[in-house]
Amino acid sequence: MSLLTKHITWLFLLMIGSAAFADTADPVEADKMHARVFVEERFPSAVTCGKCHPNHYKQWSVSQHAYTLASPMFSTMNAVLIQVFNGTTGDFCIRCHTPVGMTLGEPKAAAFADRSPIAREGVTCIACHRMSEAYGKNNGRIAIDPGSINEPVKGPTGYSAEIQKLLESGEVTDQPGDDGRRIHGRAQKFFQMTTSAMCGTCHDVSSPPGFRLEEAFSQYKMSPAAKKGVRCQDCHMGKQHGKFTGDKLSNFEYGPAARIGSKWTRKRLLTNHMIVGPDYSIVHPAIFPHNPLAIREKNGKSGMATIDEWIQFDYKAGWGTDEFEDKVSDDHKFPKRWSSIDDRYDARDLVEANMKLLEQATAARLKLLQNGFSLGDIIVERADAKRVKFKIDVANATNGHPVPTGFDGERLVWLHVVVTDRDGKKVYESGDLDPNGDLRDLHSNYVHNHRLPLDKDLLSLQSRFLLRNERGGEREEVLPVNRSVTPLPFFRPARRASILTGQPPNGRKHRQSISPGGRRWGRYEFSGDELSQGAPYAISVELKAAMVPVNLVSAIAVMGFDYNMSPRDVADAVVAGHQVLWTKKRVIDLSVDR
Amino acid sequence: MKIARPFVECLLVAVLFCAGDSALAAPETEEQQPDPDRISDQPKPLVTPDAIERPKPLIEIGDPFLESGPIGEAIQLPSGAVWQPSVQVFGTYRTAVQAFHDGDVTMSEWANRLDLFANLQLSGTERVLVGIRPLDDGVNFTGYRIDGNKGPEDEYNVDITTLFFEGDISEMFPNADPHDRRATDFGIAVGRQEMLIQEGLLINDFVDAVGIVRNNVLPESAANIRHTFVYGWNEIHRDDNIEENGVHLFGLFNQIDAPKNTIDVDLIYIHDPSDWNSGFYWGVSTVQRIGHINTSFRAVGSRATDGESAAVSDGTLLLAEVSWTPPESHDLVYVNVFWGIDEFASASRGPDRGGPLGRTGILFAAVELGRYGSALSNRADNAWGGAIGYQAYFDPWRRKQLILECGVRRPTMGDRDTAAAAGARYRQAIGQEWELQLDVFGSIEESHDNGFGSRIAIRREF
Repeated sequence: MSLLTKHITWLFLLMIGSAAFADTADPVEADKMHARVFVEERFPSAVTCGKCHPNHYKQWSVSQHAYTLASPMFSTMNAVLIQVFNGTTGDFCIRCHTPVGMTLGEPKAAAFADRSPIAREGVTCIACHRMSEAYGKNNGRIAIDPGSINEPVKGPTGYSAEIQKLLESGEVTDQPGDDGRRIHGRAQKFFQMTTSAMCGTCHDVSSPPGFRLEEAFSQYKMSPAAKKGVRCQDCHMGKQHGKFTGDKLSNFEYGPAARIGSKWTRKRLLTNHMIVGPDYSIVHPAIFPHNPLAIREKNGKSGMATIDEWIQFDYKAGWGTDEFEDKVSDDHKFPKRWSSIDDRYDARDLVEANMKLLEQATAARLKLLQNGFSLGDIIVERADAKRVKFKIDVANATNGHPVPTGFDGERLVWLHVVVTDRDGKKVYESGDLDPNGDLRDLHSNYVHNHRLPLDKDLLSLQSRFLLRNERGGEREEVLPVNRSVTPLPFFRPARRASILTGQPPNGRKHRQSISPGGRRWGRYEFSGDELSQGAPYAISVELKAAMVPVNLVSAIAVMGFDYNMSPRDVADAVVAGHQVLWTKKRVIDLSVDR
Repeated sequence: MKIARPFVECLLVAVLFCAGDSALAAPETEEQQPDPDRISDQPKPLVTPDAIERPKPLIEIGDPFLESGPIGEAIQLPSGAVWQPSVQVFGTYRTAVQAFHDGDVTMSEWANRLDLFANLQLSGTERVLVGIRPLDDGVNFTGYRIDGNKGPEDEYNVDITTLFFEGDISEMFPNADPHDRRATDFGIAVGRQEMLIQEGLLINDFVDAVGIVRNNVLPESAANIRHTFVYGWNEIHRDDNIEENGVHLFGLFNQIDAPKNTIDVDLIYIHDPSDWNSGFYWGVSTVQRIGHINTSFRAVGSRATDGESAAVSDGTLLLAEVSWTPPESHDLVYVNVFWGIDEFASASRGPDRGGPLGRTGILFAAVELGRYGSALSNRADNAWGGAIGYQAYFDPWRRKQLILECGVRRPTMGDRDTAAAAGARYRQAIGQEWELQLDVFGSIEESHDNGFGSRIAIRREF
C-alpha cells in the first residue's frame, strides 16, 4: 500500500469515526475520543494485545518497559534537561520512553495524566513487535509500522499456521468490520528479535554531542557471554531472572502463548515479558502496574477512576479495608469519587491485586540483582588493641556485562558496613544514609555542606558524571550538563569524532562498574586507644541496591514531580525500594582473630 | 615585589570569597530554622516546559532533529545496516569588539567568526560532518580594525576545516556477525577532524587522520579501557603553529577507568621524512577526587629525534589542576599550577591555538577570535606559574557566571621577566540561543609596559 493510499484510508476512517461520534455533547472530548479510535486503529494498545495474550500482558504490565513513562523521576528529569539545554534536547530522552507517544507527535514533556493511553504504556507491545527495521545501536529512534490489530505483528519465529487455522475456523477475523474477535492476520519473522542487537536498539545510548550515557549492548558484545552465544533474552526473559540455565529449551517457560475465547493455543517456548531490571515503581499502585480495570479516561466509560481521582485514594491510610472503614467517623470527608464505601472496597481490591503483582516484581528484581553480584567473606587483616582492619570483595556474578550496566551513572550498588562492640554500640559505619536517604558521598547535601563527613571508605559502584570545568580539572555532577564552560548548554551533533574518544570534550563518565570476572574490594578500618575493652566486635556487611540515588531527586526537584508528589515523597519511596542483596557477618575477638 | 603584590591581593580576594562561603556553611540549629539540606516535603506540580520550543538547526532535511513525530523510512544496505539519512546544518556565530595591549603593541577591532557545520546523520553511529569557518582563516578574522591600519578586514572563505566520517564497524556490517558473537565493535573516524589529546597539551589541532578505537575493553581490575590508534598525514601544525607538509603522525591513546581514578597514557611519534623535525611525544595523566577536592595531574613530554627546532624540541610540562566547590553553592574555586622543564613542544597545534598552557587559566588562553591574545604567555618553555580563580554562579539555572582570576608566570631561563595578571570574565545566557561575554584583564611585566585587555563578545548558537 503506498503512503498516499494509507493516508487516504486513515482519513476515511477518521471521517467515519467522526460521524459515529457526531452526537457527542462536548466537542473537545469528542475530538479526544475520535483521536483515541484513530490512534487505536494505527497503533494498537497493549490492552488490545492482552485480550489474547493475558499472561504476556500481565508480565509486561509490571515491567520496567511498562514503567518508562509512568516514572515521575523520568518525567521530571526529562523536563529539567529540556529546560537546561534550552529546549535543544528535544525528544532525545523521551523517544525511548514512549516510542508511540513520540511517533504521535505528543509533547516532549507532559504530566502522565495528560498523555494518550497508548503513550502511557511506555515501551508497549508494538514498540518491539511492530518495529519497522532491524535497527542497530540507534538510541531508540525507531519507526513503528502503523496498522490496526489485524495487521501482521513481528515475532521471533513468524509461525502463522495456527493463526491461519483459527481464521479459517471463523472464530476470529483479521478483517476490520467483520464479526468476531479481531486478531493479527499473521506473524512475521523478525530475525533481529532473536538477537541481542534488538535490545541494543535502545540499551546503548550516545547523545548527539557524543556522551556515551549507556553502553549495555556494547559492553555485552565484549563479554564472555557473547562469545558463547548467550543472548540478552536468555538471561533476561527466561525462567530465572538474570541467569541462563545453559540449555535453550529448559531456559524458558513452555506453554500456550494465546487464548482465543476459552481455548489456549498450542504450547511453545515462552519468553518472560516482565524483563526485570533495577528500577521499581514509586507511584500509586492503582496507576502502576497497568490495569485496564483501573484507569478511566476523562469522560470515558471504562475504568474505575481517573488518574487524578486515584491519586486521591489514600490506600496507605487503609481505605477500603475493614480496619479503616469500621473505625472511620461518619463525618470523615472523602473526595467525591471515593465517598461511597462500596467504591472504596472495590478500589481496595484493585489496589491489592496490583500490589501483589508489584510484590512479584520486587522478588524478581531481588533475584536478578542477586544473580548479578556476589559478596565474598569478611577477611580480617589486622585486629589488635589499636586497630582493626578488614576487607570484603564484591564480584560480578554474570559474564554478560559489567555490573551495574545500562544507565550506570545513576545506578546505586554499595556496601553498608557496621561494626558494633560487645555492648551493641556502633563503633564504625560506612555506606549509611544521610537524613535524605543519600549515601555520604560528594552528592549528599549534608556532605557537600560539611554537615556530615564524607564516607571515605564507601564502596559504591555508581559511575560518575564528570564535567570539565572552565578551569580546574573535572568535577562530579549529578546531571551530565556542563554549565561551567558555558551558561548556554546547547544540544547539537558533536563537532569532533567522538567515537575516537568515547566522550565529548566537556564531559564524560567515570565508569565504576565491575567487569565480568572482576571483583572490587571494600577496605575498612577503625582504631582506638584500647579497642580490647570493646571486644568482641561484630561486623555486618550488606550489599545493597537502589534504582537511583536520592541526590538525583534533589537535583531535579526544581521542576516539581508528577502525581502531586513532593520531593520528599519521591525520595522516601526511592529509599523504601532499597534492597539488601547479600549479607555477611563476622565476630572478631581481638585475642583470637589477630 | 612589584609583581608579587597584586598577585597576593588577588589571592586574598579569592580566599575571602571561599571564607565567605564557608561562613555560610556554619551549621544552624533546628530551633533557628528548618534543616536547609532536607529535601522538601512540599508538593509542586510537574512543570512541563512546553513554552520552550525546540530551537531548530539552520537547515533540517529528513527527520527533524530530535523532534517528536513519526520517524521516516529507512534504507537497508546489503551489509544489513539500516540508515535513516538526515541532515542538520548548525553552528556558532561569535562577534566581539575588543581592545588589547600586551605591553608592546596595542590593537582594537571588531572581529567575527562563524563555525558552520553540516551533519549528515546516517544512523545512530554513522555520520559525515563537514565544517567551514567562512569568516576567518584561523589567524585572520573578518571585521574592522579600529586602530593602526584602520579599515575593514575581509577573510571570507569556503575552506573546509572539518570533513570526516565516523562510525562503528559492527554497525556498518551487521550481517557479518548476525548473532553478535564477535567483538567487532571498532570505532573508526577518517578525514579532517579536530583532535584534543591530554586536554590539548599534546595535540590541539585539525588534522587529516584516520583513527580506530577499541572501547569497552573490560579488564577484571578496572571498569573500562579504551585504546585509540591514529594515523595523521596532513594538516599537521607543529609546536610553532605552522603547518608542516609531508610529516606523518602516529598516535596511540589509552584511557583506563580505574576504581579511584581515570588514567590516560598517550604516545605519539611524528615522522618527518626529511629527517629534520621528527619527534616523540608522551603524556600521562590521572584524574581523581581526593576528599572534596577535584584533582588532575598531567605530565607530558617531547623529544626531538633529529635535533631541536622551532617545530619540535625536548622538554617536559607538568600541570596540576585542583578545584573544589564551596559549601552551599555550585561555585568553583580552582588553583592550577604548571612547570615547564626545558622546551616542551606539542605534537600538533593549530594556528589559532597558541601555546599549551591555556588550561592553566583564562589569563593564559587565547579567545580564538581576532587578535586578542592571552594576558600571560601560554608557551611552556622554561617557566613555572599558575592561576587561582573563582567561578561564581548567580542564578539557580547557572545562566549567569563570573570568573575572577589572577595568575603568574615566572621564567626559569632566558631574558623574559616574571609576569602577573588579574582578570575577570562575565557570561550570561540570553534567551535560548544567545550568550553575552565580557572580559577584562590587566597584566604587569617588569621590563614591559603594563598590559590590558577588554572585550565584549556575543555568541549565537543555531
